[in-house]
Amino acid sequence: MDKKKATILLQSGDLDKALCAFIFANGYASLGIEVKMWFMLWGYNCLKKRRSIFSVFNRRTDPVRESAYRVLETDNILQPMVEMLNRGGVQHLPMSKLNLMGIGPFLFDKMLKKKSIMGLEELIRSADELGVKFKMCQICFDAMGISVDDLIVPNVEVKGVAEYAKDTMEAHVNLFI
Amino acid sequence: MTTDREINVVGRACPAPLISLAKEVRIMQKGQTVRITGNDPIFEESIVQFCCDGTHEILETSREGKTVSIVIKV
Repeated sequence: MDKKKATILLQSGDLDKALCAFIFANGYASLGIEVKMWFMLWGYNCLKKRRSIFSVFNRRTDPVRESAYRVLETDNILQPMVEMLNRGGVQHLPMSKLNLMGIGPFLFDKMLKKKSIMGLEELIRSADELGVKFKMCQICFDAMGISVDDLIVPNVEVKGVAEYAKDTMEAHVNLFI
Repeated sequence: MTTDREINVVGRACPAPLISLAKEVRIMQKGQTVRITGNDPIFEESIVQFCCDGTHEILETSREGKTVSIVIKV
């Protein structure tokens, strides 16, 4: 029997939805199923390093950020503006329900800790250890001005929709969250 | 029953027992045994699901209150 496969596309940047996606990824991976996780739009936020608002403009001129996946000539003021308003960071994600101006995620985190349920950051690390492949959408990379060194996981692949279509046709389960 | 390896996941909730078992099984050789102990309400069920594809075998299940201890042959 050939290896079973699953793909999970995370489009949402909400804490609860990201938590679901990573619990499924870990579950599939521990049962020996090959998992590929795709990230689009706000889905990046859970993998982004939290940085200061003031660092945004300095980092624009950093040559490290000139990755092969981006067209820097067409960048303008909007990329750093998006980055300022959407800083992400795994500890700073909002919730889709009962956000209560940031009190919701704080209380939710306490609830998970009390019940000794794994938190999002722990789940991301363990997914990485279990061999889950992380793939990113290239146009979101370009349009939102993100670079590979902004992310907390190493070995991230930046791919296009052709690769996604191929992966989903091969897989037994495709989730869109 | 003595086993080659031991995992203790008492107090850990749903995906954690499965993840630790999967990580342990990866570094074990064929024929070795592992004992996993946990007290999650769906712990036993999850471990049975883990083994149900036929690659691993459950040798022994023992219960003590809410704590369940399962021996698996890889």
